[in-house]
Amino acid sequence: MSQDLEQSFVKQLKENQNIIHKICRLYTSGEDAHKDLFQEITIQLWKAFPKFRGESKFSTWAYRVALNTAITLYRKSTRSIATSSFDTTNHFIKQEEYNYEEEEQIKLMYQAVYQLNDIEKALVFMYLEDKDYEEISETLGISQVNARVKMNRIKTKLKKILNP
Amino acid sequence: MEELDLLKKAWKKEERSFDQVSEKDIYGMLHQKSSSIVKWILIISIVEFAFWNVIAFLFSDEKYQDKLQSYGIEDFMLVVNVINYVIVVGFIYVFYKNYRSISTLDSTSKLMQSIVSTRRTVQNYIWYNLFIITLTIVISIVMMFSHNPDMISLMNKQVAEGHESVFICFCVVISLLFIAVIIGVFWLFYKLLYGILLKKLFANYKELKKIEL
Repeated sequence: MSQDLEQSFVKQLKENQNIIHKICRLYTSGEDAHKDLFQEITIQLWKAFPKFRGESKFSTWAYRVALNTAITLYRKSTRSIATSSFDTTNHFIKQEEYNYEEEEQIKLMYQAVYQLNDIEKALVFMYLEDKDYEEISETLGISQVNARVKMNRIKTKLKKILNP
Repeated sequence: MEELDLLKKAWKKEERSFDQVSEKDIYGMLHQKSSSIVKWILIISIVEFAFWNVIAFLFSDEKYQDKLQSYGIEDFMLVVNVINYVIVVGFIYVFYKNYRSISTLDSTSKLMQSIVSTRRTVQNYIWYNLFIITLTIVISIVMMFSHNPDMISLMNKQVAEGHESVFICFCVVISLLFIAVIIGVFWLFYKLLYGILLKKLFANYKELKKIEL
Protein backbone atom coordinates (compact mmCIF):
# COMPACT_ATOMS: atom_id res chain seq x y z
CA MET A 1 0.00 0.00 0.00
CA SER A 2 2.67 2.50 1.01
CA GLN A 3 4.64 1.48 -2.04
CA ASP A 4 1.64 2.24 -4.26
CA LEU A 5 1.30 5.58 -2.56
CA GLU A 6 4.95 6.34 -3.18
CA GLN A 7 4.70 5.29 -6.80
CA SER A 8 1.62 7.38 -7.42
CA PHE A 9 3.24 10.38 -5.74
CA VAL A 10 6.48 10.12 -7.69
CA LYS A 11 4.61 9.79 -10.98
CA GLN A 12 2.41 12.82 -10.34
CA LEU A 13 5.28 14.89 -9.04
CA LYS A 14 7.33 14.12 -12.11
CA GLU A 15 4.51 15.26 -14.34
CA ASN A 16 3.99 18.44 -12.34
CA GLN A 17 7.59 19.23 -11.50
CA ASN A 18 7.62 22.49 -13.43
CA ILE A 19 5.50 24.09 -10.72
CA ILE A 20 8.34 23.51 -8.29
CA HIS A 21 10.99 24.53 -10.79
CA LYS A 22 9.20 27.82 -11.34
CA ILE A 23 9.02 28.55 -7.63
CA CYS A 24 12.70 27.73 -7.25
CA ARG A 25 13.35 30.02 -10.18
CA LEU A 26 11.88 33.00 -8.31
CA TYR A 27 13.08 32.18 -4.81
CA THR A 28 16.64 31.01 -5.36
CA SER A 29 19.64 31.88 -7.43
CA GLY A 30 22.18 29.38 -8.64
CA GLU A 31 21.86 25.70 -9.42
CA ASP A 32 22.67 24.40 -5.92
CA ALA A 33 20.10 26.57 -4.20
CA HIS A 34 17.54 25.61 -6.84
CA LYS A 35 18.15 21.90 -6.19
CA ASP A 36 18.10 22.41 -2.43
CA LEU A 37 14.72 24.14 -2.42
CA PHE A 38 13.38 21.65 -4.97
CA GLN A 39 14.29 18.84 -2.59
CA GLU A 40 12.75 20.52 0.46
CA ILE A 41 9.51 21.16 -1.44
CA THR A 42 9.47 17.53 -2.58
CA ILE A 43 9.86 16.35 1.02
CA GLN A 44 7.09 18.65 2.24
CA LEU A 45 4.78 17.53 -0.58
CA TRP A 46 5.46 13.92 0.26
CA LYS A 47 4.74 14.57 3.94
CA ALA A 48 1.44 16.21 3.04
CA PHE A 49 0.54 13.66 0.37
CA PRO A 50 -1.50 11.32 2.63
CA LYS A 51 -3.87 14.27 3.11
CA PHE A 52 -4.26 14.75 -0.62
CA ARG A 53 -7.54 13.10 -1.45
CA GLY A 54 -7.77 13.89 -5.11
CA GLU A 55 -10.61 16.34 -4.56
CA SER A 56 -8.56 19.01 -6.25
CA LYS A 57 -6.03 18.61 -8.99
CA PHE A 58 -2.57 17.54 -7.90
CA SER A 59 -1.19 20.76 -9.36
CA THR A 60 -3.56 23.02 -7.40
CA TRP A 61 -2.71 21.18 -4.23
CA ALA A 62 1.02 21.29 -4.98
CA TYR A 63 1.02 25.05 -5.56
CA ARG A 64 0.08 25.76 -2.00
CA VAL A 65 2.49 23.38 -0.30
CA ALA A 66 5.32 24.48 -2.59
CA LEU A 67 4.75 28.18 -2.01
CA ASN A 68 4.37 27.69 1.73
CA THR A 69 7.63 25.83 1.80
CA ALA A 70 9.47 28.53 -0.11
CA ILE A 71 8.04 31.41 1.94
CA THR A 72 7.71 29.91 5.39
CA LEU A 73 9.54 26.68 6.02
CA TYR A 74 12.66 27.06 3.97
CA ARG A 75 15.48 28.48 6.05
CA LYS A 76 18.18 29.48 3.64
CA SER A 77 18.26 33.13 2.82
CA THR A 78 17.19 34.15 -0.65
CA ARG A 79 18.16 37.77 -0.36
CA SER A 80 21.71 37.86 -1.60
CA ILE A 81 21.42 37.33 -5.30
CA ALA A 82 24.49 37.98 -7.38
CA THR A 83 23.98 39.82 -10.64
CA SER A 84 25.79 37.09 -12.54
CA SER A 85 22.96 34.65 -11.88
CA PHE A 86 20.69 36.59 -14.21
CA ASP A 87 22.54 35.17 -17.19
CA THR A 88 20.32 32.16 -16.98
CA THR A 89 17.45 34.27 -18.24
CA ASN A 90 18.93 34.20 -21.72
CA HIS A 91 18.58 30.61 -22.69
CA PHE A 92 14.88 30.37 -23.47
CA ILE A 93 14.88 33.26 -25.91
CA LYS A 94 17.48 31.80 -28.17
CA GLN A 95 15.23 29.22 -29.76
CA GLU A 96 12.72 31.90 -30.65
CA GLU A 97 13.06 34.73 -33.02
CA TYR A 98 15.84 36.85 -31.63
CA ASN A 99 14.58 40.10 -30.32
CA TYR A 100 17.38 41.88 -28.55
CA GLU A 101 15.30 44.69 -27.12
CA GLU A 102 12.65 42.37 -25.77
CA GLU A 103 15.25 40.07 -24.29
CA GLU A 104 16.90 42.98 -22.53
CA GLN A 105 13.58 44.12 -21.14
CA ILE A 106 12.74 40.66 -19.80
CA LYS A 107 16.12 40.45 -18.17
CA LEU A 108 15.53 43.75 -16.42
CA MET A 109 12.09 42.61 -15.34
CA TYR A 110 13.55 39.49 -13.75
CA GLN A 111 16.09 41.60 -11.94
CA ALA A 112 13.32 43.83 -10.65
CA VAL A 113 11.24 40.87 -9.46
CA TYR A 114 14.26 39.50 -7.61
CA GLN A 115 14.36 42.69 -5.57
CA LEU A 116 10.86 42.10 -4.22
CA ASN A 117 10.32 40.43 -0.87
CA ASP A 118 9.06 36.85 -0.47
CA ILE A 119 5.39 37.78 -0.16
CA GLU A 120 5.50 40.10 -3.14
CA LYS A 121 7.20 37.41 -5.16
CA ALA A 122 4.40 35.02 -4.26
CA LEU A 123 1.84 37.46 -5.66
CA VAL A 124 3.88 37.97 -8.81
CA PHE A 125 4.29 34.21 -9.16
CA MET A 126 0.57 33.62 -9.00
CA TYR A 127 -0.04 36.50 -11.38
CA LEU A 128 2.38 34.99 -13.89
CA GLU A 129 0.61 31.67 -13.44
CA ASP A 130 -2.74 33.29 -14.32
CA LYS A 131 -4.24 32.59 -10.90
CA ASP A 132 -7.30 34.65 -10.06
CA TYR A 133 -7.58 36.83 -6.97
CA GLU A 134 -9.77 34.29 -5.26
CA GLU A 135 -7.00 31.70 -5.35
CA ILE A 136 -4.32 34.25 -4.47
CA SER A 137 -6.33 35.36 -1.45
CA GLU A 138 -6.96 31.78 -0.31
CA THR A 139 -3.37 30.73 -0.74
CA LEU A 140 -1.85 33.62 1.17
CA GLY A 141 -4.68 34.02 3.66
CA ILE A 142 -5.42 37.66 2.88
CA SER A 143 -8.63 39.22 1.59
CA GLN A 144 -9.25 39.52 -2.14
CA VAL A 145 -9.47 43.29 -1.95
CA ASN A 146 -6.14 43.50 -0.19
CA ALA A 147 -4.57 41.07 -2.64
CA ARG A 148 -5.68 43.34 -5.48
CA VAL A 149 -4.41 46.47 -3.75
CA LYS A 150 -1.09 44.78 -3.02
CA MET A 151 -0.73 43.61 -6.62
CA ASN A 152 -1.23 47.17 -7.83
CA ARG A 153 1.38 48.39 -5.39
CA ILE A 154 3.80 45.75 -6.60
CA LYS A 155 3.28 46.92 -10.19
CA THR A 156 4.07 50.48 -9.10
CA LYS A 157 7.10 49.25 -7.21
CA LEU A 158 8.36 47.32 -10.22
CA LYS A 159 7.88 50.38 -12.40
CA LYS A 160 9.91 52.41 -9.96
CA ILE A 161 12.71 49.84 -9.91
CA LEU A 162 12.77 49.79 -13.72
CA ASN A 163 12.67 53.57 -14.09
CA PRO A 164 14.37 55.03 -11.05
CA MET B 1 1.65 46.95 -16.82
CA GLU B 2 2.97 45.82 -20.16
CA GLU B 3 6.40 44.78 -18.88
CA LEU B 4 4.76 42.32 -16.51
CA ASP B 5 2.77 40.87 -19.40
CA LEU B 6 5.94 40.60 -21.38
CA LEU B 7 7.44 38.71 -18.48
CA LYS B 8 4.39 36.47 -18.38
CA LYS B 9 4.96 35.54 -22.01
CA ALA B 10 8.62 34.78 -21.35
CA TRP B 11 7.68 32.90 -18.16
CA LYS B 12 5.44 30.54 -20.09
CA LYS B 13 8.11 29.85 -22.68
CA GLU B 14 10.68 29.18 -20.00
CA GLU B 15 8.67 26.25 -18.73
CA ARG B 16 10.20 24.09 -21.45
CA SER B 17 13.74 24.84 -20.39
CA PHE B 18 13.99 23.41 -16.87
CA ASP B 19 16.23 20.40 -16.42
CA GLN B 20 13.73 17.64 -15.77
CA VAL B 21 14.10 15.53 -12.65
CA SER B 22 13.72 11.78 -13.15
CA GLU B 23 11.53 9.43 -11.10
CA LYS B 24 14.69 7.93 -9.67
CA ASP B 25 15.83 11.36 -8.47
CA ILE B 26 12.46 11.94 -6.81
CA TYR B 27 12.63 8.57 -5.04
CA GLY B 28 16.03 9.62 -3.76
CA MET B 29 14.71 12.92 -2.46
CA LEU B 30 11.89 11.27 -0.51
CA HIS B 31 14.43 9.63 1.72
CA GLN B 32 16.41 12.78 2.37
CA LYS B 33 16.00 14.68 5.62
CA SER B 34 14.00 17.85 5.73
CA SER B 35 15.74 20.99 6.96
CA SER B 36 12.60 23.03 7.49
CA ILE B 37 12.27 25.44 10.41
CA VAL B 38 9.38 23.39 11.79
CA LYS B 39 11.71 20.47 12.23
CA TRP B 40 14.27 22.68 13.97
CA ILE B 41 11.66 24.13 16.27
CA LEU B 42 10.60 20.61 17.22
CA ILE B 43 14.17 19.50 17.93
CA ILE B 44 15.05 22.60 19.93
CA SER B 45 11.79 22.40 21.89
CA ILE B 46 12.35 18.78 22.87
CA VAL B 47 15.86 19.69 24.01
CA GLU B 48 14.42 22.57 26.04
CA PHE B 49 11.75 20.47 27.74
CA ALA B 50 14.39 17.87 28.52
CA PHE B 51 16.88 20.44 29.77
CA TRP B 52 14.54 21.95 32.35
CA ASN B 53 13.42 18.56 33.56
CA VAL B 54 17.02 17.41 33.98
CA ILE B 55 17.72 20.60 35.95
CA ALA B 56 14.74 19.90 38.18
CA PHE B 57 15.85 16.30 38.63
CA LEU B 58 19.43 17.27 39.55
CA PHE B 59 18.22 19.65 42.22
CA SER B 60 15.92 17.19 43.88
CA ASP B 61 18.60 14.99 45.46
CA GLU B 62 18.37 13.59 48.95
CA LYS B 63 20.45 16.29 50.59
CA TYR B 64 18.05 18.84 49.25
CA GLN B 65 15.10 16.88 50.62
CA ASP B 66 16.77 16.72 54.06
CA LYS B 67 17.31 20.42 53.98
CA LEU B 68 13.67 21.06 53.15
CA GLN B 69 12.69 18.81 56.02
CA SER B 70 14.92 20.72 58.42
CA TYR B 71 13.25 23.94 57.23
CA GLY B 72 9.88 22.34 57.83
CA ILE B 73 8.55 23.10 54.36
CA GLU B 74 8.62 19.60 52.91
CA ASP B 75 4.84 19.37 52.53
CA PHE B 76 4.66 22.79 51.04
CA MET B 77 7.36 21.92 48.49
CA LEU B 78 5.63 18.66 47.64
CA VAL B 79 2.47 20.56 46.72
CA VAL B 80 4.52 23.03 44.68
CA ASN B 81 6.19 20.12 42.88
CA VAL B 82 2.90 18.46 42.01
CA ILE B 83 1.50 21.72 40.66
CA ASN B 84 4.71 22.23 38.74
CA TYR B 85 4.47 18.84 37.04
CA VAL B 86 0.84 19.40 36.11
CA ILE B 87 1.85 22.70 34.51
CA VAL B 88 4.79 21.11 32.66
CA VAL B 89 2.56 18.34 31.29
CA GLY B 90 0.06 21.03 30.28
CA PHE B 91 2.78 22.89 28.39
CA ILE B 92 3.89 19.74 26.60
CA TYR B 93 0.31 18.94 25.65
CA VAL B 94 -0.32 22.43 24.24
CA PHE B 95 3.01 22.31 22.42
CA TYR B 96 2.15 18.95 20.86
CA LYS B 97 -1.29 20.19 19.84
CA ASN B 98 0.15 23.32 18.23
CA TYR B 99 2.85 21.33 16.52
CA ARG B 100 0.32 18.90 15.06
CA SER B 101 -1.76 21.79 13.76
CA ILE B 102 1.07 23.05 11.56
CA SER B 103 0.02 22.18 8.04
CA THR B 104 1.52 23.18 4.74
CA LEU B 105 -1.98 22.92 3.29
CA ASP B 106 -3.17 25.95 5.23
CA SER B 107 -2.91 29.43 3.83
CA THR B 108 0.49 31.06 4.27
CA SER B 109 -0.88 33.37 6.93
CA LYS B 110 -2.44 30.54 8.94
CA LEU B 111 0.69 28.41 8.61
CA MET B 112 2.88 31.20 9.94
CA GLN B 113 0.47 31.76 12.83
CA SER B 114 0.66 28.08 13.80
CA ILE B 115 4.45 28.14 13.75
CA VAL B 116 4.60 31.34 15.79
CA SER B 117 2.19 29.97 18.38
CA THR B 118 4.12 26.69 18.63
CA ARG B 119 7.25 28.63 19.34
CA ARG B 120 5.43 30.89 21.77
CA THR B 121 4.39 27.89 23.86
CA VAL B 122 8.02 26.94 24.34
CA GLN B 123 8.95 30.53 25.03
CA ASN B 124 6.26 30.75 27.73
CA TYR B 125 7.57 27.50 29.14
CA ILE B 126 11.00 29.06 29.48
CA TRP B 127 9.61 32.18 31.16
CA TYR B 128 7.65 29.96 33.48
CA ASN B 129 10.84 28.11 34.42
CA LEU B 130 12.72 31.33 35.00
CA PHE B 131 9.86 32.45 37.23
CA ILE B 132 10.08 29.19 39.18
CA ILE B 133 13.84 29.63 39.55
CA THR B 134 13.34 33.16 40.84
CA LEU B 135 10.67 31.98 43.25
CA THR B 136 12.92 29.15 44.47
CA ILE B 137 15.78 31.55 45.07
CA VAL B 138 13.54 33.95 46.98
CA ILE B 139 12.08 31.15 49.13
CA SER B 140 15.57 29.76 49.78
CA ILE B 141 16.81 33.13 50.95
CA VAL B 142 13.85 33.67 53.24
CA MET B 143 14.23 30.14 54.61
CA MET B 144 17.94 30.61 55.09
CA PHE B 145 17.36 33.72 57.16
CA SER B 146 14.76 32.10 59.34
CA HIS B 147 16.04 28.51 59.65
CA ASN B 148 19.73 28.21 58.90
CA PRO B 149 21.64 28.33 62.23
CA ASP B 150 24.77 29.87 60.67
CA MET B 151 22.69 32.54 59.06
CA ILE B 152 20.79 33.24 62.25
CA SER B 153 23.97 33.69 64.27
CA LEU B 154 25.43 35.89 61.55
CA MET B 155 22.25 37.91 61.55
CA ASN B 156 22.33 38.24 65.34
CA LYS B 157 25.89 39.46 65.09
CA GLN B 158 24.87 42.08 62.54
CA VAL B 159 21.94 43.13 64.74
CA ALA B 160 24.28 43.45 67.74
CA GLU B 161 26.60 45.62 65.70
CA GLY B 162 23.70 47.67 64.41
CA HIS B 163 24.26 46.78 60.71
CA GLU B 164 20.99 44.90 60.35
CA SER B 165 19.39 46.91 57.56
CA VAL B 166 22.64 47.24 55.61
CA PHE B 167 23.14 43.51 55.77
CA ILE B 168 19.61 42.71 54.60
CA CYS B 169 19.96 45.23 51.75
CA PHE B 170 23.24 43.66 50.76
CA CYS B 171 21.71 40.16 50.66
CA VAL B 172 18.71 41.37 48.64
CA VAL B 173 20.89 43.21 46.11
CA ILE B 174 23.16 40.20 45.65
CA SER B 175 20.18 37.91 45.10
CA LEU B 176 18.54 40.31 42.67
CA LEU B 177 21.78 40.61 40.70
CA PHE B 178 22.08 36.85 40.60
CA ILE B 179 18.51 36.48 39.29
CA ALA B 180 19.00 39.28 36.77
CA VAL B 181 22.15 37.66 35.38
CA ILE B 182 20.44 34.27 34.98
CA ILE B 183 17.42 35.79 33.23
CA GLY B 184 19.65 38.01 31.11
CA VAL B 185 21.73 35.08 29.90
CA PHE B 186 18.66 33.05 28.96
CA TRP B 187 16.96 35.97 27.30
CA LEU B 188 20.03 36.64 25.17
CA PHE B 189 20.43 32.97 24.30
CA TYR B 190 16.85 32.60 23.11
CA LYS B 191 16.88 35.92 21.32
CA LEU B 192 19.86 34.67 19.32
CA LEU B 193 18.61 31.13 18.81
CA TYR B 194 15.13 31.97 17.61
CA GLY B 195 16.21 35.25 16.11
CA ILE B 196 18.44 33.44 13.64
CA LEU B 197 16.01 30.61 13.04
CA LEU B 198 12.90 32.69 12.53
CA LYS B 199 14.23 35.91 11.07
CA LYS B 200 12.87 35.21 7.61
CA LEU B 201 9.56 33.93 8.91
CA PHE B 202 8.96 37.00 11.05
CA ALA B 203 9.85 39.33 8.21
CA ASN B 204 7.35 37.61 5.94
CA TYR B 205 4.75 37.42 8.67
CA LYS B 206 5.01 41.15 9.26
CA GLU B 207 4.75 41.79 5.55
CA LEU B 208 1.58 39.73 5.33
CA LYS B 209 0.07 41.52 8.32
CA LYS B 210 0.91 44.83 6.71
CA ILE B 211 -1.15 43.92 3.66
CA GLU B 212 -4.15 43.24 5.86
CA LEU B 213 -3.95 46.57 7.69
